[in-house]
Parts: sequence; structure tokens; C-alpha cells
Amino acid sequence: MAAQTDTSATTDGTTATTGTTTGAGTARGRSILATRPLTGWRTVDILTIAFLGAALGIAFWGWGVFYNGPLSAITFGFAPLGGLFAGPWFLAGVVGGLVVRRPGAALFCEVVAALVSMIPGTEWGATTLVSGIVQGLGTEIAFALLGYRAFGIAAAMLAGALAGPFAAAYESFTWIQDWSLAWKVAYAGVLALSGAVVAGAGGWLLTRALAAAGALNAFPPGQEHRETRAV
Amino acid sequence: MAPLEPAPEPLVEPVAGGHVTLEGVTWRPFGRREPVLRDVSLTLPPGERVLLVGPSGSGKSTLLRAIAGLLETADAGELLGSVTVDGHAPGTRAGEVGLVLQEPGAGIVAATVGRDVAFGLENVGTPRADMPAAVTAALGAVGLAHPHDTPTSALSGGETQRLALAGALALHPSVLLLDEPTAMLDPGHAAQVRRSVAKVLASHPVTTVVVEHVLGPWVDLVERMLVLDGEGTLVADGPVGDVIREERERLLDMGIWVPGAPPPAPLTSSALASASLGAGPSPRRTQDVAATPMTVERTVRLLDGSTRTRTAAAVDIPLHPSPGSATALVGPSGSGKSTVLLALAGALEPATGSVTAGSDPVADLGTTALARRLGWVPQWSSSTILAGSVLDEVLVASRALGEETPERVALASRLLADLGLGHLQAADPRELSGGEQRRLAIASAVLHRPPLLLADEPTVGQDRHTWAAVVGLLAGYREAGGAVVVSTHDASLIERAHTVVTLEPPTQAPDPEPPRPVLAARAGPLALLLGAFAAIPAGIVPDHWRTSLVVFAVQAVLAVVALWAAPGSGPRPRGRLRRVTLRMLPGALGALSVGWSTWLLGGHDTTTAVTAALRVLVIVLPSAVLLPLVDPDRLGDHLAQRLRMPSRPVVALAAALQRVHTLGEVWSEIALARRVRGIGVDRRRPLALIRDLGTVTFGLLVRTLRMAADLAVAMDARGFASASRRTWFAPAPWRWADTLLVVGSLVPLVVAVLLTRA
Repeated sequence: MAAQTDTSATTDGTTATTGTTTGAGTARGRSILATRPLTGWRTVDILTIAFLGAALGIAFWGWGVFYNGPLSAITFGFAPLGGLFAGPWFLAGVVGGLVVRRPGAALFCEVVAALVSMIPGTEWGATTLVSGIVQGLGTEIAFALLGYRAFGIAAAMLAGALAGPFAAAYESFTWIQDWSLAWKVAYAGVLALSGAVVAGAGGWLLTRALAAAGALNAFPPGQEHRETRAV
Repeated sequence: MAPLEPAPEPLVEPVAGGHVTLEGVTWRPFGRREPVLRDVSLTLPPGERVLLVGPSGSGKSTLLRAIAGLLETADAGELLGSVTVDGHAPGTRAGEVGLVLQEPGAGIVAATVGRDVAFGLENVGTPRADMPAAVTAALGAVGLAHPHDTPTSALSGGETQRLALAGALALHPSVLLLDEPTAMLDPGHAAQVRRSVAKVLASHPVTTVVVEHVLGPWVDLVERMLVLDGEGTLVADGPVGDVIREERERLLDMGIWVPGAPPPAPLTSSALASASLGAGPSPRRTQDVAATPMTVERTVRLLDGSTRTRTAAAVDIPLHPSPGSATALVGPSGSGKSTVLLALAGALEPATGSVTAGSDPVADLGTTALARRLGWVPQWSSSTILAGSVLDEVLVASRALGEETPERVALASRLLADLGLGHLQAADPRELSGGEQRRLAIASAVLHRPPLLLADEPTVGQDRHTWAAVVGLLAGYREAGGAVVVSTHDASLIERAHTVVTLEPPTQAPDPEPPRPVLAARAGPLALLLGAFAAIPAGIVPDHWRTSLVVFAVQAVLAVVALWAAPGSGPRPRGRLRRVTLRMLPGALGALSVGWSTWLLGGHDTTTAVTAALRVLVIVLPSAVLLPLVDPDRLGDHLAQRLRMPSRPVVALAAALQRVHTLGEVWSEIALARRVRGIGVDRRRPLALIRDLGTVTFGLLVRTLRMAADLAVAMDARGFASASRRTWFAPAPWRWADTLLVVGSLVPLVVAVLLTRA
């Protein structure tokens, strides 16, 4: 993507001039955190999650058409393979969490995206919303486990990965009820892998690109970006 | 609803103006070395009207946000000094400082006029019974007489700005801040907005600050003028007449339109002149785009999957811009000027008539063929930036056409230097000011020498510097042999055109009588959602395909009832079966795929596989029938009032759902910007297609985030941040239809349980 910029963002340690707190965290570098209290959602936080969710929901719907058409033709022979392409569904939660960095952001964003992708009509009907809630929960729990203090690529990949088993557990009641347990577990693993790579690493890159495009100035990722290249 | 007050009282009572004090206000956004505002100190006595001017990027909007106490709403930074209104922090009383933003519609919260004006009232907990009268009074104060249920999307730009003003007035502000309220409007609508402001100020003498760079029309409305310089320092302050007289030269230097000063001399670019278009070695660059008389339709795709099509433009003469000519499309807003440009650019196919390049319809040209033929400059250039640096941005099309020669790069540098962007070559174009982005957009559209340039309102809202650059660029491009078509209201630009085409708003076919709703549409959003969810257990419970089949049959019967036309007048709804079938199609594919994978991974058992496939159909059918009937607007009301969900997220969700359909327009605009510059979707390169989709989606996300940030400022100015006990303009009743629908939806589940037990 055109908006990728410098490579210094992960290695800098010079985030000291800001008014917000910084926390120790990820494998590389530090994450700038949201203003305290963490539960003190600003209007722009709420609106950004809702709008981000809506836009990603439209993208979900488009991905669903592709997923249902050309992709299911490819994965028709062997369904767990389809899980490799499920990562994009977890993207909204990861990006929502990475942008706003407050408890509930990941869940809220994923649910809005699921709702918006459900209304125009999808393969999965009303269960789309349930999937969104379940997957969003998985992502949210990952950020919560890290104490809402780590938002680097490792945290993002964990969040994306955790959505996988949650999704698989839920689907084992609906779509894959009759698979053998071994296949269900394998499926969960494939979902987690796809989630970690596509939603996790992909979501982290997307968030960075959005910050570089100046679209996240009111949020910690925008601040991380700007502190690395003060103008 | 409770009865209205017996005696007609003035509901928007005159409010005394607020006393505004700023002391040493300095604001530095994080990541910038230099502050945007420097040590600004100032006092505005109650009721004073002030004009605030400064060069582009001088922090005028920032100062308004500081006065409103909203600096940190959509940005993060370091704030020194203090701001008070009547001795306390601004916004202590919700809506005390009213704010109208530059872009019409940026602050629109709701789908209808009434709800939008009532937004602030909801935030401060006004009882519902008091709202309609207050809304009517506020609309009356700005001269809007629309019924409360008028869709906000049906308003013109000027009306939208007046709606924003009414929304602010409903909360009895003591300070009113107007951020270039007319910069994006045509002269007629701009005058309308100014008349509204004058009317409001006559009856409500509140403290007012207007930011503008066209001073003429405002000087009679204000008493005092403040001038910010490019560094964010207050450099002049005094009675408006004195400041204009004493600071005339400085103001002209800043690019401000001072009354009585002639328009600036158009800038000439030697770089453009040397890039001659007419003669030269590229015979393919002949201007062969031509249009017959045509009508163009535009279609809005709504969230429920339905579409609304209307005639957006009608041109009754052929258009064939010849080399070296300038054509101006003029006409009131809503007459379809931008639409005609989009049709010429091949983004819309005319419903009648045609737009061709040689023998091919322009809409069928590949992306590079299109880039060779024409350049297009949209009205809002910020959303169509494609590259990471200014120099790359100018070279996008040249690169796509394989023409990135050293000479071309040198030419690009010269052109940028001529436009005053030379020092910004390496900068990120998204960080430029609006005027700089406008100049860059035109340079990017012409550098690769397409023979035709389409520019949408290229001078609207621009300061003198950018105006001179844009007019000069267009003239230079024409002298070099290019054909120019602009849509414009700018008299000096119209004067310079050879052909003036006046468009009239097209006559719309009278709306057909709306069809009767289906029975299920009488239920509210919660009942519809519940009905769709009830299918999930109904699908899971059966353990044999025979049970599933019976459940599915019951659902099918219920679907027929749900889709039955409600009694009443009007034609019968059409296409019901087709819509449901279309929506079931993905579900049917899903059923096939689930059935197959179950057979494969569940022990090659056909009975289980068929059961699994039927399960999918049972789960999906009610969704296909009921979900399209969910009204996003009412969904918000019901989630908050019936389910008692926290109101702020619910309002945000409703606002986002309300704007989903505009995302489609944004998407097409970005896609067109890429296509005309040679990097659009190309069916012959399927892998590039995926990358392109990704990039366009990214552009959409950036634009969406900007919308959210602007809306956050507008909402906080109307008391949303402190809305703890919100009331709601519209009720969320639970009716008999809701109960019936839920009970009906439970029937398949009951059947499933009974048959499975038996």
C-alpha cells in the first residue's frame, strides 16, 4: 500500500514528550496508551469505532461474496482449508482494538462490522451477528489478557489468533456440528493461524498505514506515528 | 404524545451573548515541532460579532475549536493557556458554544430534519413532548420551513448549513462559531446562508465568530476583525473597517479576498507552456471525446440492498470540446454539473445519449486508454490522493503510461515550483492545506498531457493565491492545446470560457405511488431481529433431515404470510419472491458446502450430511425474509429505549448506519480517480485487481475516519460528550405486530423441539 512509510516506528524509544502515559509492552518498542481512565470513552472513540466497523462491514460483505463464490469453489474439496481464508472476518476487532485501545473497542468494532455486513444479506443470515459477537469476544479477551497495555504486532497477532478458536467453538454448534472432534480442533488451529496472520499482522499493518495517512491523529497509533517523525 | 403548550411562546428565547476570554492560548498537536496557535489572548464582550481571517493553514479553525473547548475532541496535543466563556470552561452548559462546520453535512447526525435539530435537545434530556415545538422554532429562526420528516439527504448544501445552524440554536447558545460556512456553496446558496445568519443575529444577539476569506459579504454583519498570521499569532484586531483599511496589503498577501481589490493576475507556468499538447510526437493525444445530448441517472444503493434511481442531469446539446477551448457548465446546485463531468469521464453511463471517444463509449475504455484521453479533478481533492509524496502524486499517470522520463520528472519539478509547491516535493500530500491539495490535484491531472481536462468547481472556496494558480493552470493548459470543461459558479471563470452550457435541474418523473408494505414490515426492528435469531435454535435442534424438512416447510409458509401485502391503498409490492430467492442464493450455496464438508469429515454419512445442509437453509431463510425490513434509524431507537443499551454507542451506531450508503459514492469517486490516472482496475490483470480493491478500500477507510472525526466535533458541540440522561425524539413502541411476529417465528422452533422429542 502506498501509505507505508518509515521503518523506525517499531524500534524507537523516544516517545517521552507526550502527555499520555506509556506502558511497557510488546516484543518491540512500546505502545502509547489511550488517555486515562481507559473506560472514559471520548465521542471520537465511539464514533471512530462505529464508522470503522461500518466501513469494514461493507468490506466484509464484499469479501463474503468472494468467499462464497470463487473461494468456496477452491476449498470445496476440503472445508478446513476454507478456514485459511477466514482471517479477514476478524480484522475489524483487531483494528478497532489497536486504534482506540480501550476495553470493549475490539468487541464493539467487530459487532458493528458484522451487523452492517448482515443487513444486505449474506450466506449466514442472522448468525453473522452471533459470529461477530463471538469473534469480537476472542479478540477482546486477548487485549484484556495483556491488560490493554500492549498493542504491537505480537499483541495484534495474539488477538487475531484468539478469535479463531472462539469462532470454531461457536461453529461446532452450527455449521460443523457433525465433524469429528479431531477435524474440529484442526479447523480451530487453521482459523487461529489465519487470524494471526491476516487479521493480526494485517490489521497491525493496516493500522500503521492509517496512522501514516494522518487518519488517526486523535488516537495513540497516530501519536506513535507522529512522534517518530516530528514535523 | 403530550399536548403542546396552550399559549404560543417564543420557544427560542433571545439569549444574551457570552463573554469569551482567551489567555495565552498555545496549541501544539503532538508530532509537530511548531504550535498551530501561539500565545493567543483575546476578549470578546457579550454579543460582539467578529470576523476571523488568516492565510490557509493559519489555525483559524483551530482557534474556533479552542473557543468551543473542542480542541482535544478529534486531535491530541499540548494545550497551554486558558479559555473561558462567562467565567467557566466552554461547554460547561451543553450547547453553550454552537459550531457550524465548513463542509455541509459533516455534522449531520440523523436521517430526518426533525431528528437532526432535536439531537442537542436529546442530549440534554429535554422531554419528548417539548421537542417538536422547539425544533419548529429553531427551523423557523433560520428560515427552513421543511416538515420534520424531510430526509436530510434531500437538502441542498445551503439548506444543510442552515440545518446545522438550527441544530446549534435549539440549545440556546451564547456563543456561535461559524467555520467558513459558505466556502463550499455556490453564490446563491451562500447568500441564503448569510441571510439566515443575519436573521438569527437580529433576533438572538449572541457573541459570534465567523471564519471567512471572502470578506465582502460579511463586513456589514460584523463589528470587529481579527487577523491570524501564518504562524498562528494574532497580528491585527480592531473595528472591521479600520483593519481592512490598515492591513490591506497584508491581507492581500495572505490571499484573502479584500472588498474592492481586483482578482489577482492568473499565475503563468512556463513548465506547462513547454509541455505542448497539440503538436508533438503523440498522435494518440487527439481530443476525440464527445457527447450527444444525454440524460444521466444516478443510483443510490441502500443498506437493505434496494436501490433508488433518479435522473441527475439532462444536457440538451451535444458537447465536443475542441483543442484550446474552454467550456463552462453552469446552473444552480442540483442541476447535475458534476454528474455531467462524471459522464464525460466515463464513470457514469448516460441513460439516453452517449459519450464516446472515437467509436468507443468512454465508459468502456481501459484505465490507461482513459488516462491518455482525459484528466479529472474532483471537487474535494483530499479524498483522491494516491501517492505518498507530492512528486510521486504528480507522476502517477505518467508512470502508469510508461512515460516517466527524466525530462518528465524535471517538468514535474518545474510545474510544482511554478505552483508554489516546489519545497514540498517530498512531503506527504495528505498533510498539505486544502488550497495546496487543489493545486496539486490539477497539476497531477495535466502533467501527462491528456487532451481533455475535466474540473469540478476548481475555484470554489479557494483563497486568492490558489485561485490565481488554478485559473493560470487552466489557461496555460488551454494555450498548450488542451480542451477544458469546468463546472463552476465563478463569474471570472465563466467569463474566460468560450462556451457556456447552462444546466437546469432535470424534471423528475413523478414518484410512483409507494407500494403497500408487506405484513412483516409492520413490526419494529427488534421483533424482526428476534424473528431471524429464532431460526438458529430451530436449525440446530433437529437431528434428522426429516424433522428439518418439516421445520423448513413451516418456515416457508410463515414466509408467505410475512411477505403478504398489508391491506391498504397503493399498488401491490413487486419482486418479493425474486428478492428472497436472490438472498437465499448464498445460503443455498452455503448449505451445499456445509453438507459436502460434513459428508467428508463426518464419516461419509449421507443422512448426517443432508441434515447439516438443511440446517443451513432453516437458519438462513427467516433472515432472508426479515432482515431487509430492519430500518437502521429505528434500530437505534429501539436498542436504546427498549433494550436500554448505553445510549452513546447506540447513537454512534445509528449515525454510522445512516451514512453507510454514502460510502458507495466515496468508493466510486476513489475508483474513478485511480482509473483516470491509469492505475484503475484492469480486468486483464486479475492479480492487480485484488491489490486495487485493497487500495480503494484503504482510501475509503481514511475518508470514513475523517467523517467520524468531524462528526465527533459537531456532536460534542451539541452536548453529546456529557449526554448521560438522554431522551429520544422518536418513540420506540412495541406493537401487536411485534408480538405476533415473534410468536410466529417461534413456531418452527416449537415444531422442531416437539418432533425431535417424539
